[in-house]
Amino acid sequence: MDARRFAALTEAYGSDPRRWPKAEREAAIAYASSETGQAISRNAGALDALLDGYRVPHPGKALHDTILRTADRYVVRRRRQRFWWLGLGLAGIGLAGAVAGLALVTVVTPEVQPDHYVLDANATAFGDAGPDTIEEDL
Amino acid sequence: MSADPDEELVRRVGAGDPAAVQTLVARKLPRILSLAVRMLGDAAEAEDVAQETFVRIWRHASSWRRGNARFDSWIHRVTLNLCYDRLRRRRELVTDDLPDMADPSPLPDAREEPQRIEQALQAIAPRQREAIILVYYQEMSNIEAAATLDISVDALESLLSRGRRALHMILARDGVHD
Repeated sequence: MDARRFAALTEAYGSDPRRWPKAEREAAIAYASSETGQAISRNAGALDALLDGYRVPHPGKALHDTILRTADRYVVRRRRQRFWWLGLGLAGIGLAGAVAGLALVTVVTPEVQPDHYVLDANATAFGDAGPDTIEEDL
Repeated sequence: MSADPDEELVRRVGAGDPAAVQTLVARKLPRILSLAVRMLGDAAEAEDVAQETFVRIWRHASSWRRGNARFDSWIHRVTLNLCYDRLRRRRELVTDDLPDMADPSPLPDAREEPQRIEQALQAIAPRQREAIILVYYQEMSNIEAAATLDISVDALESLLSRGRRALHMILARDGVHD
């Protein structure tokens, strides 16, 4: 650190070491205690003091509340919508599962045979002996 | 790259956590508003910019991923862009190339010293003004400020030096500064 660099540093960042680049801070602090360093710091410090005097008000409650309302519109409501869609999705999955299960049961299950057979007047033990299949030989 | 202190909070905001939303507003609103007020020199316009910045945050929180910049740098960039839109609308800027000279006209009469500082800041070139605001008032390191402005540290230093020199000249001319 020399006078030229220290002057350039304070011209850019002012006299407060907290604003000086981290890489040069230690060397600059050491240089600032020299006579030349003190004179350069004083020069930059006058403008710093003026800049310090320019303060801006903190955000008011009205602005704060307005911003939170916009958050409700964009962020919190989006979460509610996400839950709604999640619920709808789960319901859809459930419905699709029920339909698929019903279809599976219909396709896979063999046709149920009746466990009893009612014989009518034309039936024999070998099957239907009705007039369409047996001609009477009279 | 060091950890981003806001990353987890932004993730929670993106997930719609109302407590995280409140924390983010409490943490960032004062910084955003002070940046906009000092860039624009107009409290009402600065409040509009702050609201617009938060709308962008809410829109992008769920998809925000840290790239080269921290979340704080990103919101500063968003705020600065919104401020530039308004400065352009005021016809202070007629082209995309920003003037690099201070306004030579004398400052309007302001009785209070802070008002004179405010007016002097408004009179210097916008790029110099934003460099000074980021480093001086937003307390960014030189590396963070350079990343936010998307320039090199050397270029940032040059903007700061020229900006402070311009402020010095304006304030000396108006008898505020030796």
